[in-house]
Amino acid sequence: MPKVVACFKWVVDEAYIRKGAGGALDFSAVDYKISEYDRNALEEAARCRGEGGRVVALAVGGPEAAKGVKDALSRGADAAFLAADPAFADLDPTQTAAVLAEVIRTRIPYDLIVCGEGSGDRYAQQVGPRLAENLGIPCVSYVQKLTVAAEGGRIVAERRVEEGVEVVEAPFPVLVTVLPEINVPRIPGVKDTLLAARKPVAIVKKEELPPMGEAKLETLALAAARMERNCEIFGTTPEDIARFVAALQRQGAIG
Amino acid sequence: MAGIWIIAEKKELAMELLTPGGQLDAAGGGRLTVVVPESEGDPADYIAAGADEVALLGRLSEEMSFSSWLPALAEEIKAADPAAVLLAATFRGRELAARLAARLETGLASNCLTLAAGPDGTLVMERLAYGGAALQRVAVTGRPVMATIPPRTFPPAATVPGREGTVRRLPPPPADSLRVLARKEKERSAQDIAAAKTVVCVGRGLEKREDLELARQLAAVLGGEIGCTRPISEELRWLPENLCIGLSGVQVKPELYLGLGVSGQIQHLTGLRGARLICAVNRDPHAPIFPAADLGIVGDLYEVTPILIAEIKKARGG
Ligand SMILES: Cc1cc2nc3c(=O)[nH]c(=O)nc-3n(C[C@H](O)[C@H](O)[C@H](O)COP(=O)(O)OP(=O)(O)OC[C@H]3O[C@@H](n4cnc5c(N)ncnc54)[C@H](O)[C@@H]3O)c2cc1C
Ligand SMILES: Nc1ncnc2c1ncn2[C@@H]1O[C@H](COP(=O)(O)O)[C@@H](O)[C@H]1O
Repeated sequence: MPKVVACFKWVVDEAYIRKGAGGALDFSAVDYKISEYDRNALEEAARCRGEGGRVVALAVGGPEAAKGVKDALSRGADAAFLAADPAFADLDPTQTAAVLAEVIRTRIPYDLIVCGEGSGDRYAQQVGPRLAENLGIPCVSYVQKLTVAAEGGRIVAERRVEEGVEVVEAPFPVLVTVLPEINVPRIPGVKDTLLAARKPVAIVKKEELPPMGEAKLETLALAAARMERNCEIFGTTPEDIARFVAALQRQGAIG
Repeated sequence: MAGIWIIAEKKELAMELLTPGGQLDAAGGGRLTVVVPESEGDPADYIAAGADEVALLGRLSEEMSFSSWLPALAEEIKAADPAAVLLAATFRGRELAARLAARLETGLASNCLTLAAGPDGTLVMERLAYGGAALQRVAVTGRPVMATIPPRTFPPAATVPGREGTVRRLPPPPADSLRVLARKEKERSAQDIAAAKTVVCVGRGLEKREDLELARQLAAVLGGEIGCTRPISEELRWLPENLCIGLSGVQVKPELYLGLGVSGQIQHLTGLRGARLICAVNRDPHAPIFPAADLGIVGDLYEVTPILIAEIKKARGG
């Protein structure tokens, strides 16, 4: 049964980002979470493991990502690797993929790697395919249905393309990126959390890895793009709704 | 050697990319190369729209996937050494772009909304980050500069008759380890919500698929189209995905957007930036759609929508 790696990112919960003075982003009240679609990646990895397989959850990030490791382990992974360093907090996709590839190549045996289609903060949709290239393995992205062939050794994946769906077959080792519709991620219960505390976690330090290359994508500016309008609120009586419709007419939104 | 490359799987996408491609080309000189499958129309059309060279991708066998072009294209781009490579941000285009960028050891700005050469000639791109809560300005430090651009970001390039250019054909690459077993066409809506004047958008506040009828009736009295949130098209599959509005869907710019049972998470709201009037019906007074809306009704959509339909008819004297 397959050895699966699930890559997850510990990201800022965007719902808590405020608009600061002069349109800057205010992160002072933010909380963190496992990137939305990486919960689907973790779930799919656990589903593909079957009997006798193994799932390793893997993240690269700043020291705060340690909190995410426990969350990932309560979502079905058997063990976790975390490459943590303050310098890993905001890597560009080239660097992230390079660190992930290095950790996987030197430390984690694998048949299948599962990534999310895109991360909650950057949504670059790059790290998965880049990681596959760095490892020199095939890549199937935007997968909505995944099956490990009964005889093992390969996957059959339904991937989304513009005209519809392409069903492809690929041999191990292979990387897939998954769409949110692929599964419904579990909500970890008390038992999952207790179990998670006993699972092995390996921390990889920056010094244990070869020097990281330069970022190839430079952020020049980051500005708040919140949408705020002055909402007039109406009730639900027919009179209220008639006033609502009158407002629509005044605005020229209905003829 | 300068030069701009454009890679797209469909003709209309290549024609759109020729717009920014042409601008960069005019600023930097060099050749403009368009790479499209040979099934995508007459190469003369691309040349008329600004291409100096058209490289046609030969027809692949049924078992091969578009991604098989990766090694050949990486070699072509290395040899030509263009300053920039632009790809259409389709599913295949985004994957190809990321893998090409890895092979070319360069940076890639994904899903760019704008792209322009700064005073020093550096290309600066704008894209959304944090689900749409932030606008990120980026520059690529490697060569070539790579960017993916969502469909409909730019209008198709204007054509100039009488332009000249060269056409060549890339022979299909050898098979790789991926094998296509089947292809299924997916249902697409014939409606184009990106161009709709009025959009009634349904969210997960809708209890069951049959209730779409209620939203359709409202859209009909308003003379508008139906759109939806990602969970409706993607998880529940009640509507085709080309009706999904937001970060991973379509950007709409109607005169009126009316959300029914839409919570208004930033990933959805970011698709409404161009809407003139944003209205919402949601039973949760704290739903994030309200601060982003102009007019809101706090209430149950099942109670509100029939009255709304009646009142609109009345107001129209119908
Ligand atoms: C990287 C990324 C990209 C994404 N891209 C997109 C995108 O492009 N488009 C998109 O839409 N989403 C996108 N999402 C998902 C997005 O974050 C939200 O999860 C989604 O928009 C929520 O959809 P919803 O409003 O239909 O559902 P919910 O958030 O579940 O909201 C349902 C709402 O209905 C209300 N309601 C329930 N019953 C009733 C009733 N009877 N009457 C009135 N109101 C009722 C509830 O109060 C609630 O506010 C993306 C997410 C991520 C992480
Ligand atoms: N720092 C990270 N650590 C682990 N996995 C990551 C990291 N960043 C991105 N990924 C994986 O790559 C996917 C795509 O990320 P992105 O290219 O940033 O959109 C995510 O869904 C994750 O599966």
